[in-house]
Amino acid sequence: MKSQKTESAINTYLRETGGWVASQLEACTRCGICAEACHFYQALGNPEYAPVWKLEPLRRAYEQRFTPGGKLKLALGLEKRLSDSDLERWSRIVFEACTVCNKCAHVCPMGIELGPLIHEVRAGLTAAGVVPTDLAEATEKQKTIGSPLGVTDEMWRERVDWITDEWEVEIPVDKTGAETLVVFTSIELMKFPDNLAAVAKILNRAGENWTVSSKGREVVNFGYFEADEGLTRLFMHRVFRAAEELAVKRIVISECGHAYDAFRWNAPNIMKVPKGVEIVHISEYIHHLWKTGRIKIKDGAFEAGTITFHDSCKIQRRGGIIKQPRELLQALAGKNFKEMTPNREQALCCGGGGGVISIKEADANRYAVFEMKVEQLREIEAQAVCMVCSNCRLQFVDSLGHFNLPVKVHGLAELVSRSLI
Amino acid sequence: MKEKTIYEHLREKGLSRRDFMKLCGTIAGMLGLEFSPPVKALGKVLNPSPEEVVAQALKTKPRVPIIWLEFQDCAGCTEAISRSSSPLLSRLVLEDIAIEYHETLMAAAGFQAEKAREECLKRYYGKYVLVVEGSPTTADDGIYCTVGGKSNLEILKESAAGAAAIIATGNCACFGGIPAARPNPTGAVGVADLIKDRPVVNIPGCPAIPEVTTGTILHFLVMGQLPALDSLKRPLPFYGHTVHDHCLRRPFYEAGKFVGSFDDEGARKGYCLYKLGCKGPTTYNACAGLKWERGLSYPVQSGHPCLGCSEPHFWDGGGFYEGQSAPTMKLDKGSTATLIGAGTALGAALAGVNAVKKTRARKAVVKPEQPVSPAEEKKED
Amino acid sequence: MNWTEILSFSRGPLLHISMIIFVVGMSYRLVRVVLLGWERDRASNKGSKLKGVVINYLKGLIILPFIPWVGRTFRRNELTFIAGGLFHLSLFVVLAFGTAHILVWKSLFGLSWKPLPTPVVSFFSSVGIISLIILLVNRLTHPVLKLLTRLPVWINWVVVFLPMITGFIMARHLWFKYEVIFSLHLISVSLLLIWIPLGRISHFLFYFFSRTIHGAQAGKRAIMP
Repeated sequence: MKSQKTESAINTYLRETGGWVASQLEACTRCGICAEACHFYQALGNPEYAPVWKLEPLRRAYEQRFTPGGKLKLALGLEKRLSDSDLERWSRIVFEACTVCNKCAHVCPMGIELGPLIHEVRAGLTAAGVVPTDLAEATEKQKTIGSPLGVTDEMWRERVDWITDEWEVEIPVDKTGAETLVVFTSIELMKFPDNLAAVAKILNRAGENWTVSSKGREVVNFGYFEADEGLTRLFMHRVFRAAEELAVKRIVISECGHAYDAFRWNAPNIMKVPKGVEIVHISEYIHHLWKTGRIKIKDGAFEAGTITFHDSCKIQRRGGIIKQPRELLQALAGKNFKEMTPNREQALCCGGGGGVISIKEADANRYAVFEMKVEQLREIEAQAVCMVCSNCRLQFVDSLGHFNLPVKVHGLAELVSRSLI
Repeated sequence: MKEKTIYEHLREKGLSRRDFMKLCGTIAGMLGLEFSPPVKALGKVLNPSPEEVVAQALKTKPRVPIIWLEFQDCAGCTEAISRSSSPLLSRLVLEDIAIEYHETLMAAAGFQAEKAREECLKRYYGKYVLVVEGSPTTADDGIYCTVGGKSNLEILKESAAGAAAIIATGNCACFGGIPAARPNPTGAVGVADLIKDRPVVNIPGCPAIPEVTTGTILHFLVMGQLPALDSLKRPLPFYGHTVHDHCLRRPFYEAGKFVGSFDDEGARKGYCLYKLGCKGPTTYNACAGLKWERGLSYPVQSGHPCLGCSEPHFWDGGGFYEGQSAPTMKLDKGSTATLIGAGTALGAALAGVNAVKKTRARKAVVKPEQPVSPAEEKKED
Repeated sequence: MNWTEILSFSRGPLLHISMIIFVVGMSYRLVRVVLLGWERDRASNKGSKLKGVVINYLKGLIILPFIPWVGRTFRRNELTFIAGGLFHLSLFVVLAFGTAHILVWKSLFGLSWKPLPTPVVSFFSSVGIISLIILLVNRLTHPVLKLLTRLPVWINWVVVFLPMITGFIMARHLWFKYEVIFSLHLISVSLLLIWIPLGRISHFLFYFFSRTIHGAQAGKRAIMP
């Protein structure tokens, strides 16, 4: 009777269920407040999108296998065992209607860290192989080709060369003796090359001894989206190996939220990380260069109307890089910089993170969520919006196009590089 | 020879007709005849007036023979009734309405007294009222309380056989009282626990309020039947309300003003005694209405919390000075530690089982080693 | 069996047994969860964990219950916030400052303090009862709560509601004879004590886990929890 699929999901849940998971699952009072924090629930009103409901597979595995109460509930027929169809059902909920943004944790009266728990739910579904096709394909591409967008080594080199020519900026590749390894996303490489060029320009101006690596060339981590621990490690391992080979002192994560989360907070817990190598996000590094006087920017350089800042879930809410981009924007745009509400830790997620944007079936969800973002932009009549995550940026560009809105989208690096003096 | 009626007896003792009518009024008022449930139940309209109903009864009925037995007791109830400061009623009942046998009060002693009882039982068979004070003891065939070589059980049984009604006075006779307090070595019980075939009225209290005992006897006399009883066989006219219901400190209870200790400011101000362990809310008795010493005072009025002496097992119902809400059985530190230990052991045992399951799950899900993808391997070659 | 006997049974053996079950059950449950193992978080800290934890408790104990509108989701969910907050506040006031309850704590732990005036406690107990009823209605109508609520959660509601309503009736001396409602109150309390280790009311214990975890995570990442 036992399905192999379901068993491997359950085994994953059991493996991951320590006191950390169990105590938080036990703390839940089923008050449902988290639902109102979830942008997918807010936008679509589907009760199944309530964050706590997303934890059901994990909770059921925990209670039914580890607790007498759960066994009793099974015996009394109050609850069913996890089945393959349950996994399919939750796969749609957890991958297509959750960006693992963890806003729910901030409204939970118990303070339950729902985001990381949903990450575990994803892990089980991935172990059972119930992952949306698009996401699985992109992950497979990253595994075999090295980039979820299918960028091969040759394409990567060509693209870097092209950017060097087009923007007349020097990008050191595989430079031994460099102090800083910058790892870009292939989204930037293919879709926002201006951002890549801007980063290069800023670092060169600061006199930074930096390089990119042809071996650790992709910072995006689709294994982390899937919560596949092996793949997460594999993808980070590529970057770490490159860093070790080049003997750099720090790895600068370019504009990718999930990548920053994986490298900064997750890597030390799941794998061996090179010693003495600092992990920083590009936005905090630019801020650092500016604060230490290594670059100078023209105050008030941005004059193209009202600009606002979009907080990314993994970089701001989960990464703590909240003040730095704001200080830069304040300097760049002065009075033209306005905040959306809610913002900072309480910010509304873009709706495309956590791999959602790569899943075709989730498009409707994504656009519905973005409508709320549009409303926020409208409230302050923003003409431009700045952010530090390519994934968010992709969602903004795509959705603004979908809704046909004339709001400009900028990367922070791009704005800074334009105002360098 | 026809027996004298009560009225005739009283007249012989020199009671004027005017005083007799006053007496009837007092008795009627005390019994609350107008509102007496049995009267209401009978559907009788008291016409012309309640006191005339009483007068009618006293004029037509002969004196009631009473046999008063004592078992495991302190004679407190007898003390109370004989020293009652409302002599009118107690004297009336004890002397004028008649009394034939009372171990403490009668002049006779020893075999003489026993003989008197036996004669009385025969002579008034089926007519007398049996009053029991003190608890019968059942352990070891009742040998812990014997009179004249007879066990109390034997005495009770033979005395009860011909009783028109049995009145158990005091908590001991009603519910076993103090002798029945844990561990109850003598197997003390209430009269009603032993006598099932005769009507029994319980007048609990420690001691029973004398007016309640006499009142109940008078009720039997006047109405020819026992008053309505509650589930513990207590006469409703006297036990229909709790001490708390009619408490003169009640407003302080409602306002939340409590005495904290016997000599604090609140005690001087007459605040509510609930925190000192007052059992008033669950104690049904007429203390607050009838009081003691001719209506002078009663415990709560004098500043002492109610002990609940008219309730079964009041001796075992937690400390007298401990709040009524407190649990009567407590977990001490040692047993709490043991319980926590037991819980911990249980939890640890299950955690052990779960750890095994977790290890099995970990083995079932293959975790790749520090991985290198096929594509990368090719490149490195 | 009459009510006097039921009362002495529920004040004595029944309450005793349920307290035993409560103590054993809660320690069992705590140990079972804790012994599932904890992994050390090896990622370096960006901010102070302790600071995060402290702020998070302040948020949980002061901001969420008393000034919830600073949290952005309040306006989407006033009912749960207000009724839930008031319910917990009332529960605390009645349990900690009701005279009868103080006597219970005194007899159990030997500590006692000044009670609040009865009308104040009465007010809070009615507030608690009304909040609980509002929460029930909310649970019956809110789509998310309908989805989340299964039998055990309904039982939670009932076993919490019964002691509150019987306690209220008892303290006001309404309708029932005192020993009857007193017994019912104690029976329902026993029921509650037995149920707590089984159901989600035990969140009062696990609350400290989840709040500490969230606070530490926020502190570590240098964000406001």
